[in-house]
Amino acid sequence: MNKIKILFFATIKDKAGTKSMDLDIPSEMTIQQLKEKLATEYPNLKDSLKAILITINREYAFDDAVIPLNAEIALFPPVSGG
Amino acid sequence: MTSPLRNLYKMNFPTIYSITESEIDLNDLLEKITLSSTGAAAIFTGMVRGVTSRDNPHETVYLEYESYIPMAEAKMKQVAEEIREKWKSIEGIAIVQRIGKLYPKTPTVLIACTAAHRDTGVFEAARYGIDRLKEIVPVWKKEVGPNGEEWIEGDYIPKAGE
Repeated sequence: MNKIKILFFATIKDKAGTKSMDLDIPSEMTIQQLKEKLATEYPNLKDSLKAILITINREYAFDDAVIPLNAEIALFPPVSGG
Repeated sequence: MTSPLRNLYKMNFPTIYSITESEIDLNDLLEKITLSSTGAAAIFTGMVRGVTSRDNPHETVYLEYESYIPMAEAKMKQVAEEIREKWKSIEGIAIVQRIGKLYPKTPTVLIACTAAHRDTGVFEAARYGIDRLKEIVPVWKKEVGPNGEEWIEGDYIPKAGE
């Protein structure tokens, strides 16, 4: 098992109803598989997951990336700073 | 000019990047990125606009900014590195984003670049800095108006390695 931390920001935080959570995932899980798991367990997030940015350890990551051990994952909408 | 002395000097070119809840102090930042060889600074600052007339006209009571701070600061550093890669003439760089609840007329972001002269790409460098910040630095704003609130979302999808 792999113990990861997931952070949520902006609209995704509101939909998840929390800023962060710790999650145990199987080792070798990909971002795509994590999205599928979240969509099943948190139906509120399902629609948002289609157009979401994801980072692994503070770098942008994509569906086929394998989640490393003890990763810090973040989910958020396209950024709107300035 | 690529003498060893010049290279040593370049290593000490100041780069400031931060997410802050405090007021942005332009004079302080400008002083920090001004060297004895500096003769020009291009500064962009954005502020909260209370009345918008373009596109979708509306009024703004305040904006509430949030950030994924450690990643945002790392990405600001990356933006500064990209600027230095594109414009070798740039001396100092300051990139600051203020977060929290910010009211109309309040400066929210500042990008400043300094160089020896104004015709060195310094204007373009500052422009690039704010454009890149709006693409890859994880900051979001919620707009609160007279009739409710709404998260503003960007439209840029970063590519691998960005």
